[in-house]
Amino acid sequence: MIQFFHVSKRYPGGQSALDDVTFDIPRGQFVFLTGASGAGKTTLLRLIFREEVPSTGQILVNGRNVASIPQSKIPYLRRTIGVVFQDFRLIPRKTVFENVTYLPRLLGVDLQGQKKLAYQSLRRVGLAHRLNAFPPELSGGEQQRVAIARALINEPDILIADEPTGNLDPDLSREILRLFLEVNLRGTTVILATHDRDTIQRIGRRVITLDRGAVSSDQELVGTEPPVLDPVALETAEAAKAAEAAVETPAAEQPPEEARD
Amino acid sequence: MKVFQALRYFFREAAVNLLRSWKVSLLAVLTIAVSLFIGGAFLLVSGNLSGSVERWRGEMRVLIYLKPETPEADLRRLAAEASRQPGVKSVEPVTAAAARQRFQEIFPGLADLVAGWQDEPLPASLEVGLDPAAAGQARNAWLEGWRRRPEVTLVDDDREWLGQLETVVAVVRAVGLSLVAGLLGAAIFTIASVIRLTAYLHHEEISVMRLVGATEFFIRGPFYVEGFLQGLLGGLVASGSLWGVYHFLHARGRGSLVSTVLVLDFLKPQEVGFLILLGGAAGLFGAVASLRREAL
Repeated sequence: MIQFFHVSKRYPGGQSALDDVTFDIPRGQFVFLTGASGAGKTTLLRLIFREEVPSTGQILVNGRNVASIPQSKIPYLRRTIGVVFQDFRLIPRKTVFENVTYLPRLLGVDLQGQKKLAYQSLRRVGLAHRLNAFPPELSGGEQQRVAIARALINEPDILIADEPTGNLDPDLSREILRLFLEVNLRGTTVILATHDRDTIQRIGRRVITLDRGAVSSDQELVGTEPPVLDPVALETAEAAKAAEAAVETPAAEQPPEEARD
Repeated sequence: MKVFQALRYFFREAAVNLLRSWKVSLLAVLTIAVSLFIGGAFLLVSGNLSGSVERWRGEMRVLIYLKPETPEADLRRLAAEASRQPGVKSVEPVTAAAARQRFQEIFPGLADLVAGWQDEPLPASLEVGLDPAAAGQARNAWLEGWRRRPEVTLVDDDREWLGQLETVVAVVRAVGLSLVAGLLGAAIFTIASVIRLTAYLHHEEISVMRLVGATEFFIRGPFYVEGFLQGLLGGLVASGSLWGVYHFLHARGRGSLVSTVLVLDFLKPQEVGFLILLGGAAGLFGAVASLRREAL
């Protein structure tokens, strides 16, 4: 799914952000990317969705070499990757609905379709009732959940999150983390950058550690406290997996009346 | 995304941007309106002047003034001779007495000037109407022949001052064109600055759009449409103002030189359309130019 082959990244001043990084993330894996501040986590993530170009090495995402794809094809790569940031990156003057429906809008989905997708995506993060709110009216946790809903609206193959819980208190962090795990259960590959060692120890999963731009360790951890997942979400995830196997796609879920206006 | 849907999105976003930052948008609209108003005014004046020249050309006459002692019989003979010339539409012999009478009728305040003379103060003349299509060397030679005749004192040819008027029209057009080019350049610069400012104000949204996979066409489209709308609005304001000023001048100066020569007719609908579209094109050009090198 995501393969790095001897990737290095140096900035014009000569500063090295990544140095000979090689790894392979299979489809559907949940990966923690960790390391001290300045270790190169953000640069590595930005390379995946072609916000940055590697100085040397190759990066394959879904079999495509992202370092060499032409500029005009970058939007199509990004439509398969959901990205969540620490600072949410929501547009304050746009409603939650408008914030989450950027991608359907640019794909030409009609308003009714946009409402349906927004409702489904926001329901997954428990915010279907805040469709018409503006980001400043929401708490930090809610804003991050809206950002996740935006990243998930097109059912991306990959979900990238850069310190998504960095601005949140421990309870909200747990809630957000649980959301990522639920998304992963549905088959989405998740790469989550964090320097929160406690969370990693608690949850477990694959952990890639960066140290001054180089991979210092790449290991599978068994969590000390497996997260309690939402049974509804689990059921939905199983249903989604079943749907993938089925020949016919089941009828799409309809939003309630108030979401159709 | 289908083109129609994309355009609808562009227009909606552009309209929202225009309303949201209405003060700077108004500045851009007014700048382009001023330049197009001046351009339209020059178009109006030069068009009317050209029309007047054409009209006068149709009524073009040559006045052949004869010596005071020329008898009336000679006047009639010369008139008959002139009317045989090809390209001559009409010949009216005007006796010295008739000329005096006409002067007194046209300028009643100066009637005393020509009254009480022993001899007639004004000369007899031939008023020769010419066919405008029959211009050329032959007619010039014919008029030259009249100038050399002993009975003739002066041949006054309308074409001379009509030619001068045509030069004035050409100058008005040239001045108008260069003024409009300069002002339009300033307006394009203003619109480009406004669009760049709007793009800067939206940089956060643009980065989100880019993140979710928006193409450059989708990101830049609303800004191009915004520039186009600003220009179009400028063109509409200019045309509306021009129409208002035209009616004001007509109402105020009925029968004056201004209303009969300079602003007799308003611009043709296609000229108004051109003015508005020129505004739109200038706005679009400003937007494209401003974002051409912008990384956004």
